Amino acid sequence: MNETLIWEIRAFVYRHLAETIHPPHVDEAALHFALTHEQAVSAYEELHRRHAFFLKPGTHDILIANPFSGVETAFKVYANNKTYFANCAWDSLGIPVALHVDAEVEASCAHSGEPIRLNIVNQQVQDSDVLVHFLIPFQNWYNDLAFT
Amino acid sequence: MNMLFFQSEETLNEWLVSQKAEHRAVLSIPQLWRLSKRWYQDRMSLGYHGRTIEQVQAIFKDLGLTSEFWQA
Repeated sequence: MNETLIWEIRAFVYRHLAETIHPPHVDEAALHFALTHEQAVSAYEELHRRHAFFLKPGTHDILIANPFSGVETAFKVYANNKTYFANCAWDSLGIPVALHVDAEVEASCAHSGEPIRLNIVNQQVQDSDVLVHFLIPFQNWYNDLAFT
Repeated sequence: MNMLFFQSEETLNEWLVSQKAEHRAVLSIPQLWRLSKRWYQDRMSLGYHGRTIEQVQAIFKDLGLTSEFWQA
């Protein structure tokens, strides 16, 4: 499969997530690009190998396409009249950045459970005393992305 | 996931004790926003093909994230 098509498929996945909040099933990508199921599977596996997105182990379902999560999480981002799900604290700010939109982030303190809300207005985050803790050093980020 | 929000340094420290985890890298919301802007602003673009380790390290350096935690 040529390089241009590989990256067009990546962009299609991201557009689909932005428009629907869900990642496209591999057969939706096949249909969109007039590929066979096997060709689309091969493209998804290649994009997973290149860390463009990450498949749920043992499947061809997209679990993570940073900053988007393919499944519901506790990091909600309200934007574009939709509720997106982020993978972590960082990605919850990443979604309004990626989409270039204002948003409200709804999450909670990892220890107390108290609600945390952050507002992005005019593409700037409003001031907050909230902190973000990164546990895993950068050199280990891709060992187990779901944990990181 | 271990990039988590905390309402204060106190709740972070209590969580670290409860998890028997080490205090690693902490960012304020303005710092995280600046990192997000650099990291994700072009993510929807057809031209985004990922980054090299060197490009990632340059972003961290530009944002003052220079401790061992951020090194490759």
